Amino acid sequence: MRLRRPEPHTLAGAYAMDAVAGADRARFERHLARCQACALELRGLREATARLAGAVAADPPAGLIERAVAAATRTRQLPPVTGQAAARRTRRAGPAGGAGRAPVPGRARRALLPRLSLALAAALLAAAAASGVVALRAEHRLGQAELRDQAIAQVLNAPDAVMLTARVHSGGTVTVVMSRRDRSLVVTTAGLPPLTSARCYQLWLMGPGGDRSAGMLPAPHGGMTSPVIASGLAAGDWVGLTVEPEGGSPRPTSRPVLMLSLAA
Amino acid sequence: MPGSAAGQAPGAGLEALLGGVARGDHAAFEAVCACAGSAVFGVVRGVLRDPFQAQEVAQEVLLEVWRCASRFQPGRGSAMAWVTTIAHRRAIDRVRAEQRSAERQLRAVSHVVAYDEVAEAVEARLDRERVRRCLGSLTELQRESVTLAYYGGLTFREVAGLLGVPEGTVKTRMRDGLIRLRDCLGAE
Repeated sequence: MRLRRPEPHTLAGAYAMDAVAGADRARFERHLARCQACALELRGLREATARLAGAVAADPPAGLIERAVAAATRTRQLPPVTGQAAARRTRRAGPAGGAGRAPVPGRARRALLPRLSLALAAALLAAAAASGVVALRAEHRLGQAELRDQAIAQVLNAPDAVMLTARVHSGGTVTVVMSRRDRSLVVTTAGLPPLTSARCYQLWLMGPGGDRSAGMLPAPHGGMTSPVIASGLAAGDWVGLTVEPEGGSPRPTSRPVLMLSLAA
Repeated sequence: MPGSAAGQAPGAGLEALLGGVARGDHAAFEAVCACAGSAVFGVVRGVLRDPFQAQEVAQEVLLEVWRCASRFQPGRGSAMAWVTTIAHRRAIDRVRAEQRSAERQLRAVSHVVAYDEVAEAVEARLDRERVRRCLGSLTELQRESVTLAYYGGLTFREVAGLLGVPEGTVKTRMRDGLIRLRDCLGAE
């Protein structure tokens, strides 16, 4: 039996097309791990299969990409495998991005956020960094975005940070990460019903000290809004969300679509 | 601005965008979806046929791209090959999972049906002239082996059974066929 096992190398083509299953697959993968020539050949063959894929490209149905983008906001990313991978990424940021913009690495995030749902904290941070894609292309915008990201990261990293998630009855969810020590909170939303062009969502801190605007929600990106940071949190405050005319109002002019208690 | 980074240079652009995705950049991810979404959906639908399942799996694939972007190594192949490899593997895994729960006899029948459909679908959808021409330059057995495996989702053993050819022959035809295809299509 073993004598007639053929040269595993010849399986590279079938393997590149996922046409090797079960024990065959496992055996070839063991071989692949030791055979550099196979790995090299496989790379070349996969470029060919990529062209086969491109040849049947078809526009995805409406909503598919939006759903994937929305799901990404709820999905934790894998950290890079090695230091080598990290070096590669720094290099690719290269002259355009500059080495100065150092996103919080995944591992550090994990260590700094013991109390939070890690997936969500990572999503929040990732969203905080979303301005980065623009920043990488237009460095003059980097400073402001970085400052904001820092303030957001500070809340997320606060030792007393707690996270609250609430469903909005008209649809969607609001997630708040709050630090009483910093008297600040960070708000993101997902899937809120879109508004007509002349209306916006406005955030409020509402409590014994009166209603204070905590800013407008930015335009959603893939159904999700990037984090808004609100400071000046006082005891007994609630987070409110109302629909206001574009540009916002000095005080709420409509019934809140969300009132979220921040009490412990 | 959604998609502002998308659409300029699909090839090299995709690699830079994946770098952004690895850093948790949602806008970059959206641009990757815009750039590679049609290849992902196309290949998944090609293998699965069922458009509803294809949507589901294509969405999973895109999410996996998001999740695993840090694992993409630019020195080891193009970004498009990395993405479509994930897409194809996922679609195949879904097909095989379903086959495992189906009856063996039914499988044999469905494979025959699949072949006709595949041939037809490939014929109809190969709008990329170059790929079509290069596929046409393969021997008949190479071409059948490649299309049945890649678009039909069959294993090399199943292709051998279907075509009545020894497994060893199919293996080498798949490899030779892909090499020839790669050479015909030329380096990117």
